[in-house]
Amino acid sequence: MDHVRSGSVILRSEGLSKSYGRGLALQDLSFELHRGRVMGFLGPNGAGKTTSIRILTTIMRPSSGRFEVDGIGSEHPDRIRSRIGVLPESLGLPNQITGVEYVTYFAQLYGWRRGAARRRAHDLLEAVGLRSKGAKLIRTYSHGMRQRLGIARALVNDPVVLFLDEPVVGLDPKGQQDLLVLMRDVAVRRDAGIILCSHSLADVEGACDDVVILSAGRTVASGPLADVLADTSLEAAHRTALRLRVPNTFVRRASEALGSLPQVSEVSTIVDGQLRVVVAGAAGPLPADEAANEILQCLIGADVPLLGFEIEGSRLTDVFMELTRGGSL
Amino acid sequence: MSATSSTTERAEAQSARASRWSAWRVVFREEAVELWVGGRAINLLILYSVLVGLMTFLLATNSELNLIPPKEMAFLTLQNAIFFGVFIGMIIGADGISGERERGTLEVLLLTPASRRQLLLGKLLAALTPWPAAFLISVPTLVVVSQGNEVLGHALWLGGVLGTVLAVAFAGFGLLVSTWSNSNKTSMFVSLAVWLLMFLLTQLPGEVQKGDFGYLVQRINPMQASSEFLEKVLVNNRTVAEKAPFLRSSEIAVVVVLALLFLVAAPRLRLVAGRAHRGRARWGSLTGVTAACLLLVGLAAVLSGVGAGTAFGAPLRQAAATDLALSIEETAVAVRAGDSVDFQSLLENNGSENSPPVILALNIINLKGDVVDPEDWSPRRTEEVAPIAPGDGVRSSWTVDAILKGDYMVYLVAVPQPTGADASSEPVASNGLHLSVGAFTRLNPEGVLPVVIFVPVSVAVVLLLVVRLRLRKLSSDDPSDDEIVDA
Repeated sequence: MDHVRSGSVILRSEGLSKSYGRGLALQDLSFELHRGRVMGFLGPNGAGKTTSIRILTTIMRPSSGRFEVDGIGSEHPDRIRSRIGVLPESLGLPNQITGVEYVTYFAQLYGWRRGAARRRAHDLLEAVGLRSKGAKLIRTYSHGMRQRLGIARALVNDPVVLFLDEPVVGLDPKGQQDLLVLMRDVAVRRDAGIILCSHSLADVEGACDDVVILSAGRTVASGPLADVLADTSLEAAHRTALRLRVPNTFVRRASEALGSLPQVSEVSTIVDGQLRVVVAGAAGPLPADEAANEILQCLIGADVPLLGFEIEGSRLTDVFMELTRGGSL
Repeated sequence: MSATSSTTERAEAQSARASRWSAWRVVFREEAVELWVGGRAINLLILYSVLVGLMTFLLATNSELNLIPPKEMAFLTLQNAIFFGVFIGMIIGADGISGERERGTLEVLLLTPASRRQLLLGKLLAALTPWPAAFLISVPTLVVVSQGNEVLGHALWLGGVLGTVLAVAFAGFGLLVSTWSNSNKTSMFVSLAVWLLMFLLTQLPGEVQKGDFGYLVQRINPMQASSEFLEKVLVNNRTVAEKAPFLRSSEIAVVVVLALLFLVAAPRLRLVAGRAHRGRARWGSLTGVTAACLLLVGLAAVLSGVGAGTAFGAPLRQAAATDLALSIEETAVAVRAGDSVDFQSLLENNGSENSPPVILALNIINLKGDVVDPEDWSPRRTEEVAPIAPGDGVRSSWTVDAILKGDYMVYLVAVPQPTGADASSEPVASNGLHLSVGAFTRLNPEGVLPVVIFVPVSVAVVLLLVVRLRLRKLSSDDPSDDEIVDA
């Protein structure tokens, strides 16, 4: 499957490996990140995500392999640092200074003179929605504001690649959504490549263009998200069930209507309002997508409002579980 | 393409500028502002001023009983001011890197183009900023306890210079330990333990500090050597040049610590100090480097001591003891308790050969037969005299502090060094100095209590002012007074 990618390659990893003594934390990590695109980094705990990010952000040296950022090889970590921005997972912030002072400080460390650094801090705080709060002490910031401040700090040097490590952890749903929108906005407006490490598969599925899935230090899938989903999802012949969500009061009517269809062998309730429908033909189970349209028509004909519909085994969660053998995030 | 490349070039040019020139200044300013405006430095200084004030008050109270002379009061106050002043810098230094690791702020610092050396330099300089303030805070107390004595001027400049050298050494040591520690608990513990060990050695009784091992430790330990230097120069009227070898350990400590910090630790500064499975190696290297550091200091100190000792070590033909004549150039003095008596002695060699090395010893006898502890009466009771050429003489200055009312005889004894373990020598006594001490007439020192209360209160007021100014600035910078919610 061909996908049009929005820009030139901005980050290229070639066979990165890292070992600690006899243990191999990362093995042969290779991928390409294009400008303006967001790449999700996924993997169970201990899969090598943090090691990968630390290598790519020059905090750690690889045991073998190399990478390039904007054409600069990993042999020049100092030059790479001037082109990347990082929001680490354990972002610590000083409490006794204001948001403006914090970003100004980092702008100066990146070589901006004091006055220009202060103006830049104001601009960046406005870009992340903290303009009116910049003069407040950081200790008064909420978690979401701290994450935004961290992103403003990470953007201080106009990075071509932005690394975000678990940026939405601890945020409420609105905060998570806002931050992901901000992230996409950064990718598009600044034409930067973004690497997003997240435990939330829904976030990655909803916000990323590309994905790298790691398991036990190995890359088990990488590429455009749609390709990974298409290539790795359970083979059609094995996707024999659908999941439906209907209002609680319509569960019985839906079950009765679906039970009357010859293609349906079993209807069960997963939780309130969620039904699992197993599809079968005369000779055995059928691929669910072959019967999907008839099932939908059946529900519409029975006047059942449909709130959700998916073929089991086609989501990123399913792919992740399949590829990592049920590894926990 | 052109816009992108210009942004990239600008970023690279800025980064290059940051790494070459000004990053340490930026780090220094930020750290200093956080230290002072955040209140940590001032809080430590309040504690410091209370502690120094309390110790001075206790000394002053004690001095009403045994009348410690102003010179010694000034020395003890200065010693406390230096030791506790450098402690503040060390504690701040010990938080420098391990604190950043714990708070999760080190990673973003390491990702900036600022070099590791510049980061450490900025932090070291910031950690040193409380020292001048601490020294300044101790000045009013020094003025009071010196009671107009000329020792004040010496104390201020010697204390300023020596304290600054020690402050660099200890703040650098704290920062060095911090670069090797993943937790503040570890770096604070190690730094505190080293400081405490050095400090406690200075508090040992005089006789424990004697002997070859005692003198060796005294020279190795920068605190002890500095204390010895200050005491000899401020209290015992020795010259700076004469006691300069005692400064050697402080100088070497600064050089070694800075070399380790900027040449060894800085290039190896990492997000994580070593790794769990390399814990032993890390502690091993820490211990090894510290031991090497102490060894270097010790070696240099011993070497400097060897040079000083050769004059006494050279084999000499010795004159007969009876060729020596000892005299005091005063016969009777009347003073009041609390006063000091200065006099000179003359030791002459009337023989035809070099005299052996001689120990001069001062003694005080109560003419009513009561016991006198000469150590309370004189800060220096002995003096080593190098061999005297035939016909030459050596003048020595002595000070006796009149402690209690009464009638006393002060005299000196010259003890020639015996030629061997089974040989003896014949001491020579001087004429006596009849010392009549009248009643105690004034408190010593005066007015210390208001000072030891006023100083901490003043520092606390400064703290409140800083906080108030900060809050006012924040409120004037803030475009909205809205309640903060998630943006």
